[in-house]
Amino acid sequence: MRKARRGDREAAAALFRRYWRDAWRAAFAITGRRSLADDVAADGFERAFAALVRFDDRRPFGPWLHRIVANRALDLLRAERRLSDEELPDTPDLAPPHGAGDRGLLTAVADLSIERRVVVVLRYGVGMTPKQIADALDLPIGTVNSRLARSLEQLRESLEVEHVD
Amino acid sequence: MSTELERRLGEMLAEAPEPDPGAGEEARHRALRALPPPTRSHRGLRTLVVVVAAAFVLLAIAAGSLAAVGALHVSLGSKSAPRPRTIPLSLPRGANGIAAIVNGELSVVTKSGFRLQGLPVSAAALSPHALYVAAGIGNSIVALRPNGSQAWSHPAGGKVVAIAWAPDGLRIAYVSKSPHGYRWRLSVIWGNGTHSKMIDRLVAPTMPSWRADSLAVAYDARNPAPSSVKGGARGPLFIRDLAHPTELITRLRPRQGEVAQLAFAPRGAKLAVAEVHRTLLVGNRPRVVWRGTSQGIGWLDGRLAIAATIPGLPHRGVEAFTTHDHLLAAAVPGPGGTVRILAGRVGHLRTVLQVVGKPRCHGLGLAHRCTAAIRENGVQLG
Repeated sequence: MRKARRGDREAAAALFRRYWRDAWRAAFAITGRRSLADDVAADGFERAFAALVRFDDRRPFGPWLHRIVANRALDLLRAERRLSDEELPDTPDLAPPHGAGDRGLLTAVADLSIERRVVVVLRYGVGMTPKQIADALDLPIGTVNSRLARSLEQLRESLEVEHVD
Repeated sequence: MSTELERRLGEMLAEAPEPDPGAGEEARHRALRALPPPTRSHRGLRTLVVVVAAAFVLLAIAAGSLAAVGALHVSLGSKSAPRPRTIPLSLPRGANGIAAIVNGELSVVTKSGFRLQGLPVSAAALSPHALYVAAGIGNSIVALRPNGSQAWSHPAGGKVVAIAWAPDGLRIAYVSKSPHGYRWRLSVIWGNGTHSKMIDRLVAPTMPSWRADSLAVAYDARNPAPSSVKGGARGPLFIRDLAHPTELITRLRPRQGEVAQLAFAPRGAKLAVAEVHRTLLVGNRPRVVWRGTSQGIGWLDGRLAIAATIPGLPHRGVEAFTTHDHLLAAAVPGPGGTVRILAGRVGHLRTVLQVVGKPRCHGLGLAHRCTAAIRENGVQLG
């Protein structure tokens, strides 16, 4: 990390290799679209590397990167939602990113609001703790916990409805 | 229930797909370019400062001593590095015209005597036989006559990043930024500046390519399911047949990474597709014809040309590559921080332009892609 901060390209490339896959998968899980995930993850890395000199290297790089990626994904999805003349689906592309094993759950996750979906993805897809999510998204930890709880409640209700149907 | 649900969530999200290798490669380059310049350690820097200061003091003492006895006249100053040679654009032998964009400025020379230099543009294309030039200026697409006057101008709603004139000269396809600024759309306008129609509202900023009969255009689509396509066609690369009453769309696959360049053959309907790490030829069925970075594709005397295989071009760093009949042109890094345009026949390339400049990519809002089609430095033969 210290070498990368000093502009060492080999060290930075190693950092990229180590974190690219996770960053991309987080971006994909939030946006649900490959092309957007490419953009968001690449943009996240670019911003992270450009700001590397300001990074406190006593802290782990992964959560910091995920914070940037998650915020870029949220910015993009929110911007898309604001557009009235060029509507795009707000929900992830369902075919065929996660396999058909749990399609009901996938659909239910896709139906979550952006704000709820992102905390679910960071918690259960990326494996971040509520505290790390709160830090990453600049939210009070109480808000993160409440979004997680409400998301799970909504998912449970969706799955129950599906089961009844 | 929540515990079981959380377990299912974890398993489902763990099955997320893997990123494309091409996307990772491109992202790595972008990220590394964003790195701060390398710095020496403070310790090394301090040592260097001390050594330089000591040497300067010793030199000053020695020079002062010599000057005092009249043996030496001392003057301090920096010697400037020689400026790299600049070569204005000239017409390659056998071409009707050439247009080059370096540092965002357009230079054009045509056989009819039209010469233009230093016009700030975002994209440009020569019409067939190099009779007109279409250029992206501000948020408009503008056509210039051979005498340099404006033939017409049409508001594009955003910056025009790629222009392709149909082989029959009757239509122009162009990619422009949306008014919101972070996505691109493909439109087609008649060659006289009328009847502009948006073809797809979500495309990649890659140069579209016209089929030889001027009735179809290939482009890199980003919209997973264009509204006009029934049956939910997915897959980002499309050939749109403009003559077909229902606007037939062809889906090409498989995809592997970003499309860097598209090039229809000058005759027939074969389409060459350069992705980041391979090149495909799409006829009856797609087949890979080149593995590795192509550095640009085109057609020379009816045969597919891959810049990486052209003798006389550098193995790396070709920023733009174009062909016309038996001629090719390429933008490559020149000596001393210059950009150079090489043009001519294979084996007889010569420098037709050299200016101070460096590779630059368009700022694309969310992402900064650096494919051959959207670099600010570009070249086209007519």
